Amino acid sequence: MEINGTSYERDVPASLLLVHFLRDDLDLTGTHVGCDTGSCGACTVQLGDEAIKSCCMLAVQADGASITTVEGLASDEGELTPLQQSFHEYHALQCGYCTPGMLMSATALLEKNPRPSEHEVKVALQGNICRCTGYWNIIEAVVAVGEKGTR
Amino acid sequence: MLLREVEYARPATVEEAITLLSEHDGARALAGGQTLVNVMKARAASPDVLVDLADLTELRTISFSADQSALEIGAMVTNTMVISSSEVEVARPILAEVAATIADVQIRNRGTVGGNVCVNDPTNHYPPLLAALGATFTIRSTSGERTASAEEFFVGVYVTAVSEGELLTKISVPTRKPGTGDAMAGITLGAHGTYVASAVATVSSEGVRVALGCVSSVPVRAMVMEERLAGGDLSEAAVRAAAEGLAASLDPPSDVHANAEYRGHLAEVSAVRAVLQAAERAKG
Amino acid sequence: MTAIETEAGTLQKGSAVGQSVPRKEDGRLVQGQGVFFDDVKRKDMGYLHFVRSPYAHATIESIDVSAALEMPGVYGTLTGDEVAILTDPFFQIAAPPGGHVKDYALAVGKVRYLGEPVVAVVAETRELARTAAEYVMVEYEPLDVLVDARAALADGAPVLHEECGGNLSYSGVWEWGDVDAAFAEADHVVSIGELHFDRFNSTPLECGGALVEYNRGTGQWTMYTNNQFPGFAAIMMGPAMRVGLDKLRIVTQDIGGGFGNKITSHPQLVVCCLLARKLKRAIQWTEWRTEFHQSMSHGNERWFENTEVAVKADGTLLGFRTKAIDDAGAYLRYEPLGGVIWSQVAAGMYKWRNIWLEFTQAMTNKAPVSPNRGYSRMQQLWFTERVIDIVAQTLDFDAVEIRRLNFVQPEDMAYETPNGCVYDSGDYPRAMDMALELIGASDIETRRAEAASRGKLLGLGIGSTLDSGTNNFGQSQLINPELQFSGNNEVATVKLDIFGEVVVTLGTTPQGQGHETTAAQVVADILHCDVDVVNVRVGHDSYWNSHAGFSGTYASQFAVTGLSAVKGAADMLAGQMVKLASMVFQCPEEAIELADGFARIKDNHEAALPFMALGAIPNANNAGFPDDPPTMNCRYVYRPPFDVPDKERKFGNLTLTYATQIHACVVEIDPETGVTEVVDYAAVDDCGVRINPQIVEGQVMGATAHAIGAALWESFVYDEDGNLLTPNFYDYHVPHALDMPPLKTGAFESPSPFTPLGTKGMGEGGGGGIHCICSGIQDALRAAGGAIVTDSHNPYHRVWEMLSHPERSRETIEVTSR
Repeated sequence: MEINGTSYERDVPASLLLVHFLRDDLDLTGTHVGCDTGSCGACTVQLGDEAIKSCCMLAVQADGASITTVEGLASDEGELTPLQQSFHEYHALQCGYCTPGMLMSATALLEKNPRPSEHEVKVALQGNICRCTGYWNIIEAVVAVGEKGTR
Repeated sequence: MLLREVEYARPATVEEAITLLSEHDGARALAGGQTLVNVMKARAASPDVLVDLADLTELRTISFSADQSALEIGAMVTNTMVISSSEVEVARPILAEVAATIADVQIRNRGTVGGNVCVNDPTNHYPPLLAALGATFTIRSTSGERTASAEEFFVGVYVTAVSEGELLTKISVPTRKPGTGDAMAGITLGAHGTYVASAVATVSSEGVRVALGCVSSVPVRAMVMEERLAGGDLSEAAVRAAAEGLAASLDPPSDVHANAEYRGHLAEVSAVRAVLQAAERAKG
Repeated sequence: MTAIETEAGTLQKGSAVGQSVPRKEDGRLVQGQGVFFDDVKRKDMGYLHFVRSPYAHATIESIDVSAALEMPGVYGTLTGDEVAILTDPFFQIAAPPGGHVKDYALAVGKVRYLGEPVVAVVAETRELARTAAEYVMVEYEPLDVLVDARAALADGAPVLHEECGGNLSYSGVWEWGDVDAAFAEADHVVSIGELHFDRFNSTPLECGGALVEYNRGTGQWTMYTNNQFPGFAAIMMGPAMRVGLDKLRIVTQDIGGGFGNKITSHPQLVVCCLLARKLKRAIQWTEWRTEFHQSMSHGNERWFENTEVAVKADGTLLGFRTKAIDDAGAYLRYEPLGGVIWSQVAAGMYKWRNIWLEFTQAMTNKAPVSPNRGYSRMQQLWFTERVIDIVAQTLDFDAVEIRRLNFVQPEDMAYETPNGCVYDSGDYPRAMDMALELIGASDIETRRAEAASRGKLLGLGIGSTLDSGTNNFGQSQLINPELQFSGNNEVATVKLDIFGEVVVTLGTTPQGQGHETTAAQVVADILHCDVDVVNVRVGHDSYWNSHAGFSGTYASQFAVTGLSAVKGAADMLAGQMVKLASMVFQCPEEAIELADGFARIKDNHEAALPFMALGAIPNANNAGFPDDPPTMNCRYVYRPPFDVPDKERKFGNLTLTYATQIHACVVEIDPETGVTEVVDYAAVDDCGVRINPQIVEGQVMGATAHAIGAALWESFVYDEDGNLLTPNFYDYHVPHALDMPPLKTGAFESPSPFTPLGTKGMGEGGGGGIHCICSGIQDALRAAGGAIVTDSHNPYHRVWEMLSHPERSRETIEVTSR
């Protein structure tokens, strides 16, 4: 499969979840685990252009797929995307554990809908639990990126 | 999080999938996996073989039946596809409206209509919806194809008319005729959360159909209420009167969110609200 | 520049302090480059999985690990019997009877709650460890189960810890003022049968875990873990493991939320340590969500029985009596400290002068409790707020006015409470007015009518709450006079490195509170340099970070203890920089100033030494000075001013600062279903000087979300067999984005006269939102039977019950008037 533009080929047991494959086999530890029921969205990655939960998918199911993780957002030189920058400016993160999943859900939203309304942002983030911020700063950070017309 | 060992196959055709499912005891079809993978994480189920239906593109289509009377939804159509389908929008928009409230974007992107109905969790959205709409289910096996009504299809939690070696291939939903209104109402744990009680109503010239979720292992039709409303008076007073006694007629489960009495009450309230909204929509 | 006068001195708010400086932490975290414990890996590490008890109460008849050990790829196991040989029971904070509890890292002989770790299995992969755990055969003999603390002390109740002779862990009577006289003076006595504060916790998104290595050469363990109070973990672990604390190196970088719930992971860490030594390999333990819910750090559940409130005709509150029954769960991991912590806010924000409270804590077959955001104070604050609203409704006082009448007033500050605590500063009426204005309280009747036209019941809620911070650990002696803890401390180092970098280390273990940023703001202003120049070391390493006995991140104190330590060390460094410049320029120190990243002569700005020179001279170019140049490496321990409380009278100052929060909300109830929605919300915070207003606001908003969850959805519910019915995020519903009401915030600053920066600890929020929503629900229900809210947790079914049978709660309230 292709992850953040790099091709990987590995033999893995069918029982291995995609999130464990990313974290443990490829050391892409930005993708997190916050629950064991597919509820929290900390493991959200992009499969093609869609946000999905990598704990609800087997690694083998992603064979041949193209995946983007949080590590694939900023440039190699560390230049943040406008969305990452907006999270920083709006204090949209505290502990930062949910942040990669939030960013991936919001990135997928902005690709489809570059100027989302507040409600559309909430809907897009409904599958991502944050226990620190109370959500509003996250919602505002995403809306602001849309208003600026950049992603 | 940690699954037992499992074999995995990703067949290219429906025939191949059915062969795999019938050849292996303990084989299980893997659709979107948004329930099954979680069940496997909890080790509440541990199939020996997963037959991944992802490559069966013929199950990923939404189209009309030859006589245009039904919308045919492939079992592997995702909720996101339902939401954005122009066919659904034209022929039965309630499907998209309900799909948009299932869990969250990520789960809607992967979760399929076929998976949702085959799981038949009593809190799921599609079982009462499809029961109310009078959908039929097409099931294929090595010996051919058969269809089942919603009443026949839903048997129990995780149990449907699809038996070992069989595969649900499509769901046919009657297209909406003019003067038809559909609505779903219920109580969820938080926005877009799990249903504690739900009801779907469809109102048309043929009468009223009401199906309840969460009150039994299968969707329950509110037959008495339907009969009382057959006369066509869908005023609020009439609908409330028709629902009288509905709660008492049910034998709903108790859990941490609602005891049987409260859940029965919520089912009755949901039924009233669904019918009233459907009636409003039926007026156009 | 604003100057803030405090009794302790004048703080010049400079270019950094008081600004919403975007956080230094964010860069790594938004790129997925944070390092959480589960990101740390070692070659050939073994994955640990716990075999957990399926029973809430049972004796362990036998354990057979042989089948698991035979599986290829399984590295080894650890059982309770081994733990009982290799370790001593953990130190108990309680005096007898609770002090007799024998608590080990794994169950020994008996299990006392569902999910209790019984055996640990280590294997080559995570999946295999779990599978092997299924092959461990444990025979149990189930015992009767106790899930209700109220029944714990009854004759014939099942006993959890036989050595305690019953289920009581702690009891004590707390009495201040002249309670009998207060009741004699009262015009009305309001009796409230029973109030219940529910069991929940903050469910940080990252669960517990560790990567533990054992160095056979030095005998030292290194734990990469997310424990949030390593100092406490170490003093629990060292004696139990019979090793000195220096053998226990605890390292954290990033922690995925804590909220107190990650203080008591020491039992699991001991298991990891024992296995790392036994199996001669690194041990990786990741706790999954269901395990966390079943076993980690629930909040204190508490009842208030037979409460009586003495009220004068004008609404003045004279005093109260109540019997608090607290449920500690199965073990006393941090308890019974909850038995004293509540008394920091015994009377809440009100001028009750006469208080009688009998506190009884019992052990039950439920997960052990430990601190949870607002620990033990929010239960008491919720109680005071419920009492106010119940008195108001029962005696027909206005809920706002009765608060205003009874609030401690700004002119009363600093205010000594009946039990000797000192509220340092604040303006509670102003905070309430601000909150009411933000929520639009003056239009509430219009809104109520509009909601009624839609068939909805609308209510206005108020939650007045205190965030007491910077503990005087001497309060522990009020529950166990033998304990040798008092005061508090925190440490920081600030140094100037050879190329002029300012490097700060903290003793704390932040979990999202932005310590790197606020510490840098304080240092930058003192050294007159840019925030970006200040490099605050990330995370905590007990081996290398300087730390003090109470170091850690808990109990709303960083802005006081942490930043005061930072200030102290930065002041020392500033002094050294000035001194060195005076030595170089051979002028008096008074002639030197720090400005714009230089030490320079005030009257001659050309004579200036950059930080680089100041760092290089003592470090690398120090010949020729007649006296030693200063080291540019400064360590400061901040010790807040405390006395040991009076154990006889249970009297003394227990915390240094009291931040205020007033919450206001509008709730709507669907009378047909009981579905309750918070439709509007405002929170006002006064935490003294705010170093970084954006971070303060973020804490307020986060605490609000926790409170909304706890008020409506989040609850650890057990059935009578001790099964946890809400073990995951399906059934334990936490607020999601769509669940959050519109949220307005307000703030003003009443600087603390007692702290070097005028700051107050904040962050926990005192459960203000819980009080507020309960208040709003009761207000909404007035138009539908007038039920009294007697529980902190009001899910839809409970609201429906109140709608269906309002008389049931009303009948628990009695008024005697003269």
